[in-house]
Amino acid sequence: MNTFTKTFLTTLALLAMSSGYAQGEVSEVDDPAEALKIAALEALITAPSDRALPLVTKVLNSNNSNDVKSRALFILSQIDLPEAQQQLLEVARSGDAELSQEAVRMIGISGDPDALAGLSDMYSAGDEDLRDAVLEAYLIAGETQLVADIAANAKDADEFEAAVEMLAVMGAQEELRALRSNGAFPEVMIEAFAISGDYESLRELALDGSDVERQAHAIEALGIVGGDEVDQTLMEIYRNSDSEDIRESALEGMLISGYDAGVLELYRASDNIDEKRELLEMLAIMDSDLVFDVIDEAFAGDR
Amino acid sequence: MNDDTLLLYYYNDGLSTRERRQVDAAINTDPDIAAQYEALCQQLNAMDDPEPHAVPSHMVQRWHDSIDRAAQQDLVSQRQPSRSFNLFSFAWGAAFAATLAIGISIGVYFSAAPLTAPTVIAENLAPPAAFTRGVSMYLRDTHQELATLPVATAAERTTLVLQIIEQNRLFERAAEQNNSQSLARVLRAFEPILLRLAADDIAPEDAEALRAQLAFELNVMLTKIARDSSNNSQST
Repeated sequence: MNTFTKTFLTTLALLAMSSGYAQGEVSEVDDPAEALKIAALEALITAPSDRALPLVTKVLNSNNSNDVKSRALFILSQIDLPEAQQQLLEVARSGDAELSQEAVRMIGISGDPDALAGLSDMYSAGDEDLRDAVLEAYLIAGETQLVADIAANAKDADEFEAAVEMLAVMGAQEELRALRSNGAFPEVMIEAFAISGDYESLRELALDGSDVERQAHAIEALGIVGGDEVDQTLMEIYRNSDSEDIRESALEGMLISGYDAGVLELYRASDNIDEKRELLEMLAIMDSDLVFDVIDEAFAGDR
Repeated sequence: MNDDTLLLYYYNDGLSTRERRQVDAAINTDPDIAAQYEALCQQLNAMDDPEPHAVPSHMVQRWHDSIDRAAQQDLVSQRQPSRSFNLFSFAWGAAFAATLAIGISIGVYFSAAPLTAPTVIAENLAPPAAFTRGVSMYLRDTHQELATLPVATAAERTTLVLQIIEQNRLFERAAEQNNSQSLARVLRAFEPILLRLAADDIAPEDAEALRAQLAFELNVMLTKIARDSSNNSQST
């Protein structure tokens, strides 16, 4: 028997005994008994699933601290057995809010479709913390459609916003576009398009003059996406718009995307002193080296 | 440039064409990075064993130490009262808002670098050994970085954790491209914890608890990868 095998068997034995010396609530990570249990749980990952599962279950059902139980939940998430998923769901539905949220995270890690679907009911009935945990689990599992369903069925603006922000972080452009086509369109959608990098949707909004405030917001958000296409669109908007507000938003977009070459081009093309001053100020705000070219040009006539 | 990026470059694994070009350029123009890459190549070339067969010795030693320490203690007399910080109850709402802001910033940063088309690998194939070695090294390095993380210095801690998040995302993408969806999910699950750890207003004891949680999960995944690699090599 090699050293590792001995260590492993020792830890299994210690785990089996854990409930015997865990009569009181212990929480200090540096508590030797606690550290030992955590080390034993760590070693348990090397055990066959059918041997690990009853030991993990025992840890969860014993009077251990939440730190120890949360480590056990992580091990449970790595056990590829239906009983492990069931156990995670049971803990998620338990009355202990802290462990429940951690179990939800572990369901996300395990990626089991049935268990993930089971979180929907919990989301509806849960408090804000639990709802956030469910959204995070869907993020971990990459379940964009389940998040989109939450957004589509949101009961209030806060719930909708949280789901849309999560879709944005997940880069779920298709689901965000579907939400837009459903008619829901608060400002958070523009930010979500920007964060998810959806240039097409933002361009459409940036060129739509039916709502000037929304249009201006979309133009600025284009700057977050950045890139050559965005730069050209911002230039196009600036040149073609008669609205001072829209032109200012286009400049803000260039500031955000760092397109100083475009600002310089506009400066050189302008005959209007006030506009030139504004563009020069923008280059200075952008901390662009191109501002020195402009200064040289401004003093060229003095030579 | 960090070792993980160079590692992925070395194994031609997990980097987009654009990212590879950036590393190419950096190696060719920056003598320090060239030297860093050369040292990494030497280290990797010196590895005789192409597969991680066993649980790392430092981990086995840690288990031994834990068991020995525990055996020497009077378990009953050493019990401590519950600590004031509860890992799961600290202002998740506020933390989520703060960390989402950081996450969004990082998300925007990464959205500028388009992913390469995923390599199509049949579901029943094991991930390539090169990827397994790379991710093992990443998990080990991250564990060490977290162990020496300056918990009390917010700015330094934030910078270091954001670097870890950047590497974590690289390996998450690499995991997706290498038929390791379960590993990709775990790496994704690290990120919200790392983001909370990066927050500049987190109390030291909260940071310590998050670090301990991450250390545990990193070690478990490292052990699992080693176990799976060992099983694969024995079955072939």
